[in-house]
Amino acid sequence: MKDYFKLQLVMTNRKVKEAGINPVLGYLLSLVAFVLLSEYIFQKTEFARYLVILACLSFQFRLSEKSRTDFLLSTFGDKSKNRIRVLENVIVCIPFVSILAYENLFSEAAILIVSSITIALFSFRTSLNFTIPTPFSKNPFEFSTGFRKTLLLFPLAYALAAVAINLDNLNLGIFAMLLIFLITLSYYSKPEGEYYVWVHAETPKSFLRRKVIRATKNSILLTIPITIGLLLFYPVEYDRILLFLLIGILALWTMILAKYSAFPSELNLPEGILIAFALSVPPLILLVLPYFYTKSIKNLRLILHDKN
Amino acid sequence: MIKIKGLHKYYGKNEVLRGINMEFSRGKVYGIVGENGAGKTTLFRCIAGLETYRGDIISDLQPLKNHIGLLLTSPFFFSKITGKEYIRLLCNARDKKNIAIDEKNIFDLPLNQYATTYSTGMKKKLAITAILLQENDYFILDEPFNGVDIQSNIVLTEIILKLKELNKTVLVSSHIFSTLSDTCDEIHLLRKGEQIKSVQKVHFKTLEQEMKETTIGTRIEKLDLK
Repeated sequence: MKDYFKLQLVMTNRKVKEAGINPVLGYLLSLVAFVLLSEYIFQKTEFARYLVILACLSFQFRLSEKSRTDFLLSTFGDKSKNRIRVLENVIVCIPFVSILAYENLFSEAAILIVSSITIALFSFRTSLNFTIPTPFSKNPFEFSTGFRKTLLLFPLAYALAAVAINLDNLNLGIFAMLLIFLITLSYYSKPEGEYYVWVHAETPKSFLRRKVIRATKNSILLTIPITIGLLLFYPVEYDRILLFLLIGILALWTMILAKYSAFPSELNLPEGILIAFALSVPPLILLVLPYFYTKSIKNLRLILHDKN
Repeated sequence: MIKIKGLHKYYGKNEVLRGINMEFSRGKVYGIVGENGAGKTTLFRCIAGLETYRGDIISDLQPLKNHIGLLLTSPFFFSKITGKEYIRLLCNARDKKNIAIDEKNIFDLPLNQYATTYSTGMKKKLAITAILLQENDYFILDEPFNGVDIQSNIVLTEIILKLKELNKTVLVSSHIFSTLSDTCDEIHLLRKGEQIKSVQKVHFKTLEQEMKETTIGTRIEKLDLK
């Protein structure tokens, strides 16, 4: 059991190193980011306690995945498997429980500990057997697979927009619109295997153009209910609504180009910092885009065998 | 035609391909054999342009990679992509649109299911179907028979012979000698990155015998099975 956790630590350290960060610094940064983010959420919403519990449980559900627990069971046996799983969930819940305790939410913290231990004793199938239909099936893959993975988030964004209109809160409505872009740009956060770029008989320019146009079209399609709703209820504010729509589109382009600028590697710290800067000060996107574009073209030339 | 001249490949200081010279003509099937680690997959990846290398790989169609149907040993599939979407993705990549995928589902695959739920053999059959529908001029099939059921292996053998008839160039690697002797015109033997010999169809029996003797040697006796 001790060896298992040692191995987990080694593997996690490797992942942090691959992201270009020293593991100790990585853990420290994650902790600071976690504390700041939690603090921010607790200041912004009264539902923060539920968000914290939900975030923790969603991590733990992943650890309870059937094939993973089956592997633990066949390797370590029933008793050790349960001990490992309980310990894993306890480790995961420590930061979340600490935040709740810090906010004087002791009963919620206690519920989270009990739920964490209970979940550890069960396993769940996270993959469904039926195929979720998608409007993006004709042009796979980012939107067809991404849509299926994030399906439940769309009704949430639409509901948020409806609440915003009901409460006469345009800012919340714009947030709901940007949430859709946040979801779709997450489809481009990880690089696909080299084969899936190599297979295209295209020049880097047409490859990127196609990716960008398709992502823009599909994202706009998904935001239409929100955008139209906001334009209908706030016609005077049309310029603000369209400006944020444009920012969403530019953010999406930034993500796509950043992905291929690092390809076939994953996005690392330098790209991450540039994206974060650009997204926090949107005019910066216009400076970052050409940089990522040039780098992407250079990268793709090699893999698409473009000699021009 | 694909011509390979003095191909060398290094991973760090480790030389995995040592001066390979081969020529692949139209309308012919070539087998690449060798033990695990002999360099077969690396050779295929070099031809496909997925690896950098020293030496020359020349072809009559440029860029060569846009005309290759590449079957990897273990094809990767995105989670939540259906079989049909996978085929569509690969066909779109070569600008082959409006293909009647359901009609061309010769292996009777459940195309509306997620590809990740397929068995090993089904995954391979899906990847083969996709590259066939891309209408390539060259085919590189890295262990196409591996994990596939006997019935589908028979179909696959016929497909390779059909591709030959259509004047395509096919490169196949396999650990099952009979699958190669049934389809290939020439077999290249690799050992530790070196091209040991190239054998024409008439000498396949001798090659098989030689490989058996070299591979088995006295290994079985060493086990001292009782």
